[in-house]
Amino acid sequence: MPRFILRRAYFSLITILLVSIVVYGVFSILPFDPAALTCGQKCTPQVIEANRIKLGFDKPLWEQYWLFLSGIFVGRTYGAGSAEFSCPAPSFGYSFNENMCVTDMLKEALPITVNLAIGAFVIWMVVGVGLGLLAAKFRGRYPDTLSSVFVLLGTSLPTFVTGLFLLVYVSIKWKIVPLSLEGYKSLFDDPLGYFRYFILGWITLAIAYAAFYTRFTRATVLETLGEDYIRTARAKGLTESVVLLKHTMRAVLAPITTSAGLDIAGLIGGAIITESILNLGGLGRMTIQAVYEFDLSVVVATTMLAAAVVITMNLIVDIAYGYLDPRVRMK
Amino acid sequence: MRKNAISTRVLAALSAGALVSTVITVGATSTANAATPKAGGTLYLLEHTPRLDHYDPSRIYTGRDLAFMNSFHTRTLVAYNPVPGDKGADLVPDLATNTGVPSNQAKTWKFTLRQGSTFEDGVAITCDHVKYGTSRVFATDVISDGPQYLVSWLDIPKDDKGNSIYTGPYKNTPAGVAAFNKAVTCSGRTITFNLNKSIADFNYLATYGVISPVQKKKDTGDKYDLNPQATGPYKIVENSNTQLRMVRNAKWNKSSDTVRTPYPDEVIIQFGLDEEVIDQIILEDSIPNAVNFGGPLPTNRDKFFKDAKFANRRMNNSDPYARYIAFNVAKMPCIEIRQAMYYARDAKALLDYAGGPDYAGSYATGVISPLLATDFAPTKVVGPSDHKNTADVLDATTGFKPSGNVAKAQALMDAAKTKCPAEYTRATTTGITIDVSQSSTLNDTIPINEKAFARVGIKVNYNIIKSGYYPTVMNAEKQSDLSTSGWGADWANASTVIPELFATSGGFNLSQNSKDPAYKAFEDKVNLAMKTTDRKKQAALWKELDKEAMKNFWVLPTLFGKAQEVWGSKVQNVFFWVPQGNPAYGKMWINQ
Amino acid sequence: MKNLLEIKDLKVTFPTDDGFVHAVDGVSISVTPGETVAIVGESGSGKTVTSLSVIGLHNRRVTQISGSIIVNDKNESLDIVTAPLDKIRSYRGRVVSMIFQDPMSSLHPYYRIGSQLAEAYLVHNPGQKEAANKKAVEMLELVGIPEPQVRAKEYPHQFSGGMRQRVMIAMALMNDPAVLIADEPTTALDVTVQAQILQLLKDLQTKLNMGILLITHDLGVVAQVADRVSVMYAGRIVEQGNVDDIFYSPHAPYTLGLLKSVPRIGAKSSERLKAIPGQPPSLINLPTGCAFVPRCEYISLAPSGSCATLKPELLGSNDEHKSRCHVPEDKRDKTFAAEIKGARA
Repeated sequence: MPRFILRRAYFSLITILLVSIVVYGVFSILPFDPAALTCGQKCTPQVIEANRIKLGFDKPLWEQYWLFLSGIFVGRTYGAGSAEFSCPAPSFGYSFNENMCVTDMLKEALPITVNLAIGAFVIWMVVGVGLGLLAAKFRGRYPDTLSSVFVLLGTSLPTFVTGLFLLVYVSIKWKIVPLSLEGYKSLFDDPLGYFRYFILGWITLAIAYAAFYTRFTRATVLETLGEDYIRTARAKGLTESVVLLKHTMRAVLAPITTSAGLDIAGLIGGAIITESILNLGGLGRMTIQAVYEFDLSVVVATTMLAAAVVITMNLIVDIAYGYLDPRVRMK
Repeated sequence: MRKNAISTRVLAALSAGALVSTVITVGATSTANAATPKAGGTLYLLEHTPRLDHYDPSRIYTGRDLAFMNSFHTRTLVAYNPVPGDKGADLVPDLATNTGVPSNQAKTWKFTLRQGSTFEDGVAITCDHVKYGTSRVFATDVISDGPQYLVSWLDIPKDDKGNSIYTGPYKNTPAGVAAFNKAVTCSGRTITFNLNKSIADFNYLATYGVISPVQKKKDTGDKYDLNPQATGPYKIVENSNTQLRMVRNAKWNKSSDTVRTPYPDEVIIQFGLDEEVIDQIILEDSIPNAVNFGGPLPTNRDKFFKDAKFANRRMNNSDPYARYIAFNVAKMPCIEIRQAMYYARDAKALLDYAGGPDYAGSYATGVISPLLATDFAPTKVVGPSDHKNTADVLDATTGFKPSGNVAKAQALMDAAKTKCPAEYTRATTTGITIDVSQSSTLNDTIPINEKAFARVGIKVNYNIIKSGYYPTVMNAEKQSDLSTSGWGADWANASTVIPELFATSGGFNLSQNSKDPAYKAFEDKVNLAMKTTDRKKQAALWKELDKEAMKNFWVLPTLFGKAQEVWGSKVQNVFFWVPQGNPAYGKMWINQ
Repeated sequence: MKNLLEIKDLKVTFPTDDGFVHAVDGVSISVTPGETVAIVGESGSGKTVTSLSVIGLHNRRVTQISGSIIVNDKNESLDIVTAPLDKIRSYRGRVVSMIFQDPMSSLHPYYRIGSQLAEAYLVHNPGQKEAANKKAVEMLELVGIPEPQVRAKEYPHQFSGGMRQRVMIAMALMNDPAVLIADEPTTALDVTVQAQILQLLKDLQTKLNMGILLITHDLGVVAQVADRVSVMYAGRIVEQGNVDDIFYSPHAPYTLGLLKSVPRIGAKSSERLKAIPGQPPSLINLPTGCAFVPRCEYISLAPSGSCATLKPELLGSNDEHKSRCHVPEDKRDKTFAAEIKGARA
């Protein structure tokens, strides 16, 4: 097992490195001059040139990349003379738009995205799997019908519709959840503020994902209920609820865990639309703003982080699967 | 008009002339005049962008942001008078004792600092602080994006590449430092600026933070942008991508500041809110002490302006921009064809598409916007005779008709056929190319234009530039036959309009008019105006120059824009402040 | 001796899109202690439905069931057809156990077999974890699994097919049931393993004196272990009797056909297999008359028209050996005997 993890870790690092190279590569083939975008109509050529030097775009691309890469290990300094400052290691660069070291930006954004993802995850798993179980158990009857209506809505409503609807109606018009203006509050500092900040985002995401898990759980449960070992369980005299909740759920656990693990990994990369609509300062919003503003340092950092999260979660899911399904365990 | 926070023009102001401004349609101001202002409460400004471009006074170049920071946080040597109407564009002393004393044909300017002004840490403001603040803009690699006038105008030699030999306070050469110290001198409380040419309105530049005090030991270079030191009644306590939060600056000395009346306890810009959400908040009044910082979405304008409920919570005024289409005179030397294009254009259809005279604006008559009231005179050479009548009666002598004067345009094209046959052929066969910036409205406006020009046989091709519009069209090699553009003055003087757009030394000359026979005389007049310290005389010169530029058809004027503002029910004393074209933020108070 | 299991006139019907399927049409079977009763038939004969009904594993919402299935435990008895579900559950795995055809899919792949066995005990003896685990190991030993303590911690996929079936048997016997229902227990196994399993069943039966209801289509299995046999066709029993009767003097044409169709070792390779011509009938629209009519060679021997119009009753000159056929029994004896001799040749 440790050798397996080590080998995976090695390939993961290479993958993350490749991701960063790809981002730099894409940036390099942009058909316009990013320095020219730093100021507007009143830009003189001198100003554009000065900005180009400040942002480091005057250097050849490989040198820019090398500075970026080495910055991760030794940090990086910017400016000159008495205006010099540095971003200590691990440095993913500096955002001139935000006047912040990218690492600090990541530190601020990450808890928000993680809280958003985990909260939504809990809600959608409980609702999705629960509803899926009900739908499977009462197949063909009204709980099943209701859940399929829910599935239809959840899968067809895009998050920007749900998010906007919730914000405009639940927060602004009906004032059920008052608008949170103060920004992120940690659960320990201000529990009420914490919930106010995240609740709409949780619900928006949960609706979309729960719908999938309802459908998935229902299908997997129904499939499992047709298995012979379920018949055996009944033949032993087990009650239906034990059959369902212990034997069936145990079998359904492996595929659901795989799916859930990958879903939450993707979310930790940043729920771009939900965060933008609901004004949550997470990685998704950070990334999309950086893309609009051609803030290369930030885009590279968030992309690498998202890749790292997905790769790590893949590894975790693979290991977990070994525990969940004894048949695939390595000896 | 939506104010683009990344590239907004600063509106010029009306001068102290006693001009009655019928030219500005001012929406109803609030109930300010009735009630007495109360202190307290929080003023919210709701903004959809993630942050303001800059807070560092040396780097702010956006009109609205300048007005905002100046209202609350950053004092300057002189400021605009925060009152409604034309007088809002008057200069009043702020950190200085007067509005500046020119001498030596306006090549030398002196300002004397008043007593008692302090930074937020209690340190008294001295002449050296102002001098240091002035030096920062020369460090173009650190202090970027601010107005570059000081670099162009201070009497400091340039190297052979055209860059100033003084490179700012962070790293510099002894020669550079010496040159700077000669150009900007302090004597007691008086600071003297020595310019390399006559700038009759240099004191208007002083409304920008680029000439404002900064403490050297607190100057953190690029990071100063996060939390510059306050000299005004509010200081920054939070600057994140959630909000910019300002609270009262205890060290602000009320007796030293005759300009500001800080009523709210806190001023907060809320960032990142979706534009539709902001409109909903104002519509529902769920945050009654909030202002929509960016203006309502076009789709929501009617909801605010056609409902009597919002009568005291909205305003609709001219914006600072004159929009036009620049002719590349070098590529299109045939004036008849240029004229024909002006008369063939269907201005009405385009104005109606943009929102009609109610919201979108009025037909432009030149490049000097009506908000520059001192220098504004609707030119009779092109366009309607009287800006008062935004959409209806027009002077028949000019020949301008809102939907196009096809007969006149056709006659001009017929004349062009014989006078400039090569260009005529090109205009009617391969066609004329117009640069436009990528936008979703092009799908609708391009057919309108194609149809309009086709009425006189002119074929138009659109060169849609997806990004980096201005750097592209500013490149004379890349520029097409026509380029759509707009311009707002940096301050209340057409000196930041006419020379910029039409002189070869100008920073934004898209007209390539240097070879035009009329150009030499034009340039001489411009130079004369730049030296004329008599404001009235100078204004007369600008009016003439605008008229001449229009007569020469160096640009095709299209629109004087309009902008709307809306706010919540508890925000009081919201009035249109002419200099930057937005509400006077510093005068608002919250009716708690 | 009381019957451990008494199925009387069992009828099972369930709806499908095409109509009602009459899977079981009046079946009566009984099992006494120490006795192995085999139900033989091809797919669709109703044998599996019968066996599932005995422990109430039919789909209660859609299946209609009538008749009676009486299970007699030491001091109690229960009619499965009318009993409430919780009572039936108390009998499952304790009084009546069932093992199934495919042991790999019948064991839960994700639980260790020791815990699966223990669970069977704990369902009916809640809270007695230690006793359950101990019994699990004992049962594994009983069914011939070597190193039972070690193997109890393993997963089903770590066992071979034959071992898994032994585990299933162990699981079924955790609570000393009175009746064991074995639905095709060896069909999925190799022939050599088959013999071992059948021997194991026989040994356990002797030890525990339980009754076994064995469902199979394989006459070889029947011959090895059954005491009595019921042959089913189209949802009905067409012949029942003790194993010698069935094999040496079958009375139903279908039984004869089954016997004839068994491939014989030593037969010439040029000899064709004697399959019964035709297909079993649809159980939705049962024909009037005898269901075997389309495939029967002996219709001419019956009173004219009776086969097609009248369903034969289950009769026999001997109470122990009954069959359904309109052809008079003595005629059958004569005709079939000749065929059997030929088959045995």
